[in-house]
Amino acid sequence: MSAELAAQGRAARRRRVGAARVAALVGATVFACWLPFQLELGDVGLYDRMGLYALVAIGLTLLMGFAGQVSLGQGGFFLIGAYTSGLLTMGLDADTRLVDPQAGIDPLLAVAIAPLVTAGIAVVIGIPLMRLRGHYLAFATLAFALIAWSLLYAQDSFTGGQYGVTVTKRLVVAGHEITGATHAAVVWGLVGLALLLSTNLVSSRVGRALQAIAANEPAAAASGINVALYKLQLFVFAAAMAGLAGGLFTFFAQFLGPEDFGIIVSLLFVVMVSIGGLGSVYGAVVGAVTIVYAEHKLRELGTHETLLGWDLPSTAPSILSLGVFGLLLIVIMLFFPHGLLPGIAGAVSGMRRRLSRRSTP
Amino acid sequence: MTTFFQFVVVGISTGSVFAIVGMSLVLVYRATGIVNFAQGVFAVLAGLLTYSFVQHMPLALAAMLATLATALVATLVAVVAVGFRGRTTHLASLIITVGIAIFAEAVLLAAFGEVPRSYPAISDRAWEVGGVLIQPQYAVLALVALAAAFLLTLFLRRTIVGQALVASADSPRAAELIGLNLRSIAVIAFAVAGALTAVGGVLLAPTVPVSYSSGLTITINGFAAAVFGGLVSIRLALLGGYALGVLQQLVVGYVDSQYSLIIALLVMLVLIGWRSRGELAV
Repeated sequence: MSAELAAQGRAARRRRVGAARVAALVGATVFACWLPFQLELGDVGLYDRMGLYALVAIGLTLLMGFAGQVSLGQGGFFLIGAYTSGLLTMGLDADTRLVDPQAGIDPLLAVAIAPLVTAGIAVVIGIPLMRLRGHYLAFATLAFALIAWSLLYAQDSFTGGQYGVTVTKRLVVAGHEITGATHAAVVWGLVGLALLLSTNLVSSRVGRALQAIAANEPAAAASGINVALYKLQLFVFAAAMAGLAGGLFTFFAQFLGPEDFGIIVSLLFVVMVSIGGLGSVYGAVVGAVTIVYAEHKLRELGTHETLLGWDLPSTAPSILSLGVFGLLLIVIMLFFPHGLLPGIAGAVSGMRRRLSRRSTP
Repeated sequence: MTTFFQFVVVGISTGSVFAIVGMSLVLVYRATGIVNFAQGVFAVLAGLLTYSFVQHMPLALAAMLATLATALVATLVAVVAVGFRGRTTHLASLIITVGIAIFAEAVLLAAFGEVPRSYPAISDRAWEVGGVLIQPQYAVLALVALAAAFLLTLFLRRTIVGQALVASADSPRAAELIGLNLRSIAVIAFAVAGALTAVGGVLLAPTVPVSYSSGLTITINGFAAAVFGGLVSIRLALLGGYALGVLQQLVVGYVDSQYSLIIALLVMLVLIGWRSRGELAV
């Protein structure tokens, strides 16, 4: 009897802690949605991009952290999400696209379809691959992203090739045009929602299964967990998140061209996840914010004529960002394989423990 | 029919490069369990170095120096990619090599610029066999790939070092018990594979100009070739490389050059999917 009461008490306490956490998350989300209206116009774009990439990174970190699989092709899903919503909105027939205002479907519906398309593709790719060792999925997803990117050029009458597609229609929800700061607010609202869902997921039955898989895969399989199915679900979820972010990107940029979807974008998502820690959804958001900001600053730095007395070539922005992000990935994976933020946090708490031990002999 | 055979001949030459990179990936994978995402970078580095050296010295010497330098870089990559014992998983190693590939692009872009580079082939004449033109460069590429497959197989089967390489990946703990140093094993494997890929790159650049960003395509084509043999068979990686090269050239010739990479990648995806019936994740 008393044991039962104690268990009830523990459960209630857990609910209270859960409620406090949810309240904090909701508060942070409200702040994140309010922030873009206070920012300058140039910064709103940067802030919006951070949110879009965070959506992709949240999906990828769950895949990398719990399935032990890495996708080098999230940029491909992002691309397909963007072009799906863009082309559906503007009309599939390139000739009538800019002439006939009736061509295409409602932008909101197009954004909703984008993640469904990418999830469908992920099911097809994922079923055979989720049972294989990690490097197969890594290369298969990379191949997929390369195929998607090459198709932009090969199917140029459809996708506009290097000239891209201009999206003239705006995303309208209940009479409100979703552009600029409003768009950023919507994106960050979705980031908050994704965080809420993911943290709930991690502490649910599914989440316990996922943690078991992450900790010891053969043991998880032996206790009746369908490992391949859970991994597939994570892969499909990650693809859907990237597709949704891509679909929203269309109405952020209002223009789709190949430059925004190169292979390096896929690799940057991996860098974001490794900064925040594999499996940490909050870390993924921090990683996305860090990388987008760093890329912006490096681009600014690279466009200077000279740097520390060196004449910079016109390729300097690419050299700087490739060099910094490549090095970052190497260093993080070597020294902080569980993520840069958790690694630093662990080092700090370890040092504090050592210091307190020394002060109290 | 003559054009068909012409496509096949060109395909075998480009396929030889895929085969060489594929076999290099197999060697590294069999010795260390690591799939080296930066393998294609070695081909690019060797090609661009040869381009720089050849301005000052004869081609043969330039090629040799470039190959040596690339093998040295490969040993550095080995040390970084293997990481720390017991802490760096194979998946982490793969991501580290992804980082190395990105970082290498920055270095190559800074050092050599963005213009694709090329230099004269071994000979500018061509043999004509029944209307099909065969450049000596093509023949050398195909022969080098063949010889490499033969020597690598001998190396892995018949030499002590080769046996040690295979043993250390099969059972790292047992290999350490009999006194093998896993890090030096990895360094040897990466260096041999790096030199082999470098030779491929040196021979590739005269037929297809290489630039700082060519590494990714070379790596992924090499991986596709290696997948034919499940990442472990040298012989099948060689055949896979040839098949992939010929397929790509046929697509270039009869369909559209824009689809050559797409179709090669689709073939790889299907192959990986097909392999998934046999091998299960551990």
